[in-house]
Amino acid sequence: MPSPTFTLESVAQAICAASGHTFGGGINEGSFKETFLATRNDGRKLALKVLKQGCSTERNEREVEAMKRCSHPNIVALLELAEFGFANTKYTYLLEQFMEGGTLEDRLKGGLLNRRDLLALGDELIRALGHIAEKELVHRDFKPANILYAVAGGEALVGDFGIVRDLRRESLTKTFLLQGPGTPFFAAPEQLNNEKSLIDWRTDQFAIGVTLSIAHFGVHPYREDGEDDGQAIARVATRSGPAARFIREATSANLPVLVKMVSRWPAERFRTPGNLLEEWKKQADES
Amino acid sequence: MPAFHQVGHNSENLLFLEEFARFGGAILSPLNYGPADVAAQIARLRNRGNFTTIFDPHLYRPQSERMCLPEWDYYPRDVDTADLSDEGWWAAIVDGVARTAVGLATTAVASPAIVPTTFPDDFFLALVRNGNRLENALRGSAVRPMQTVIVNLPELANSSRAMTIASIISRSHVSECLLVIAGNDEPRRELANPEELKGAMRLISTLESGGQPVTVAFSSSEMILWKEAGATNCATGKFFNLRRFTPSRFDEPEGSGGGQLGYWFEEALLAFLRQSDLLRVLDRGLISQASWENPFSGQIMEAIPAGNAWVALGWRHFLYWFADAEYRLSRRAISAQDIVRQADANWAAVERGTPPLFMEERQNDGTWVRQWLRAIVEFPYFR
Repeated sequence: MPSPTFTLESVAQAICAASGHTFGGGINEGSFKETFLATRNDGRKLALKVLKQGCSTERNEREVEAMKRCSHPNIVALLELAEFGFANTKYTYLLEQFMEGGTLEDRLKGGLLNRRDLLALGDELIRALGHIAEKELVHRDFKPANILYAVAGGEALVGDFGIVRDLRRESLTKTFLLQGPGTPFFAAPEQLNNEKSLIDWRTDQFAIGVTLSIAHFGVHPYREDGEDDGQAIARVATRSGPAARFIREATSANLPVLVKMVSRWPAERFRTPGNLLEEWKKQADES
Repeated sequence: MPAFHQVGHNSENLLFLEEFARFGGAILSPLNYGPADVAAQIARLRNRGNFTTIFDPHLYRPQSERMCLPEWDYYPRDVDTADLSDEGWWAAIVDGVARTAVGLATTAVASPAIVPTTFPDDFFLALVRNGNRLENALRGSAVRPMQTVIVNLPELANSSRAMTIASIISRSHVSECLLVIAGNDEPRRELANPEELKGAMRLISTLESGGQPVTVAFSSSEMILWKEAGATNCATGKFFNLRRFTPSRFDEPEGSGGGQLGYWFEEALLAFLRQSDLLRVLDRGLISQASWENPFSGQIMEAIPAGNAWVALGWRHFLYWFADAEYRLSRRAISAQDIVRQADANWAAVERGTPPLFMEERQNDGTWVRQWLRAIVEFPYFR
């Protein structure tokens, strides 16, 4: 049980003090962990993530294992994983690259991406996806908030493997649940319907397709004119889409790849990451 | 792409007849032949040039007493007692099948698969596991792996089921698929449930569009539907029980599936005709150009007045039609829809004629033709 007298901030401060890092304050707090800024002696900024007590679940273990398995320029790097004793309690913490450039979500607050920036972003995300798929992992939470930039204007990196699915291991999601883990607005039909047999890298392909569509067109690809986001999610769950409006817009913008990425069934999307990247690059070459 | 021959009891010699030059491949049977015979068949078929041989390990319903299967090294000795859901047990078999195929130097080999009692998602995931393992075991060899897909036709009447299966199978690292469509329809009868046919067509079309060429095994005249859906190859055999995959096939001795009656396959009606039916259809002038060009038609026409049995000519007549129709469809010289529309019109003429023409078999009434037409026009919208 956590000690009521200590906050995770005091734990983070103690970790920094013990490892010679400079504590830089809190960044954000999630369900399972809190993130702090820590600066190394050489000036490099790091994200220090301290897991909450009682939250060192199998999901957390899988997150860490997944990040350790990945090593790619477009995936946030896990630099260190360790345990730290504080006030007779062991805390697990992670040190990751610090993403000073913010998230894609932040960037989109300044406006939609033009075609050139969209094509570059797509290329980066698809390469990251290819690496994740090769490791037999499914991220399951691709969305603008989890796409980060080490520096503003730099390449995008994928972060937050909190609900990653390891296809080599038994699923942690119970079959009886109506919906599997994920962010509904970006989730694929098989995720929304908890169709566990259908979860694979193409589930992430769908979420990246939605993310890129939002980034360029500003609306969910399943949202018909006059509908709200809730109705778009319902359309995804019932496989009633993509929206005719979206198909028209994507086709006239010469982005047909996006339409295929958000197809209702995995079998209708790109079959391999290689196929997807090839088609994306072809689309970019035609620009 | 060319038609394939589903090799059955003593049928491989047919492939060396001049009339069957359009068959471009064969699915070999370790059920009917031991290793030495199959090796000899492959060596002989290789001389045909540009001919594909597919080795199907036939583990559909493994039993220790199963014709020639126990002669094969890959065939498990503990088959009667093994836990067929054990991944490790299958892994050893897959590796053995790969070694056998490399030793035989076949063009391709299908991944081992059983026919389950039910067809849940786990079954298809297991098929993919075997396919991936086979692909891995064949790396560095010239033998191509094929992902075996066994589907239960009645389940495909639900479009979501067809798409779920396609979604799982398309995860396989193996590109080429060998599709076995299992069902309970009697081999002699035409498939006639339009929803099931649409589901099967949707499955084929989805796999093909995703870059997984499909070879449909055990096909009969419905081959034209599979071709319409985009199937790369279709395979058929000499007997009716090699043109349909039913559970009852495991209870019958191989080689008895032809029956003793001669059948003429008539494209104009998309129907198998017995002798008296054939003569009456001939009187009505409903024999197709394709039949007149079939070299076995003339031989049958000579056999009938002489009172000679023409069962074997009937097999040849159908096999010739199959390869010829596949050829015309693949080259888009004709469309499946044209063939079916014409047959539909001809059946209407048969019914309206004076007197109406009733075939010997009560069920040989052309009702499936209308369902096939529905399947062709509706399957792209089957959701």
